[in-house]
Amino acid sequence: MQPTSTMNEEFLKKWQMGLQMFRPSIDNASVSERKRAIKLSADVAMASLRKGTTCWSRALIQKTATEDNFLVRQMLSGIKEETLINKKLPKVMCHRKIVRRSKKILMRRKSRSAMEEVAAKAKKLVKRKTQGLRNVVPGGEFMSNNVLLIQETLDYIVSLQTQVNVMRSIVDAAEAGIER
Amino acid sequence: MSSRRSSRLRQSGSSRISDDQIADLVTKLQHLIPELRRRRSDKVSASKVLQETCNYIRNLHREVNDLSDRLSELLASTDDNSAEAAIIRSLLNY
Repeated sequence: MQPTSTMNEEFLKKWQMGLQMFRPSIDNASVSERKRAIKLSADVAMASLRKGTTCWSRALIQKTATEDNFLVRQMLSGIKEETLINKKLPKVMCHRKIVRRSKKILMRRKSRSAMEEVAAKAKKLVKRKTQGLRNVVPGGEFMSNNVLLIQETLDYIVSLQTQVNVMRSIVDAAEAGIER
Repeated sequence: MSSRRSSRLRQSGSSRISDDQIADLVTKLQHLIPELRRRRSDKVSASKVLQETCNYIRNLHREVNDLSDRLSELLASTDDNSAEAAIIRSLLNY
């Protein structure tokens, strides 16, 4: 499971397309405005590779759209808007509280062996870490179970690696060109 | 009482299936993260893998941010050194 050259090419094309949209203004823009354009185009390009099939990519597109709706619309003109929205409501938090409370009641009535204690502690630790993951993966709050969360995380990481590889190649090549 | 017991059994049955799935997915994560892939041992705990995953993702975010900064500054060199600007623009098909 690694970024493929096809992914790299598609990302680059989409990213270039996004940057073109800023064409007139970007030449006279400030460094920070240019950076914003670069980063937003890169994010939409990365998310668009998934064509609305993953939760994280939909969430990232939604998030970028709140910052630059026009850009997103232009870059994604081929894709239906409905496929890009995460429809599940974030009921995860509420559900977990109830589950936790009922588990506490159940646990109080069981007498636990040492092994069970260790297993319970391990599970708690894993729960805390998955929450950390939810905070860092776009759309984490919509991922209702841990299996989905980790599947999405795997795909998100591969996509991020694509984004980083291509951006790094361009920056390295450009900087090398200058030093010569 | 009986309904609670049966719901408890149902709960543990379904969680057994997803425990295996999760273990499999965590292994996949382990192979994806450079920090953990180097260690090669199978003995990394799930919570360690998840922790390293969070760290790795944050590092990738930081790197994208940094690369965006650098690229933005490279594109700034338009007036002097038009050769450099030309290089970057052709790389970006700009």
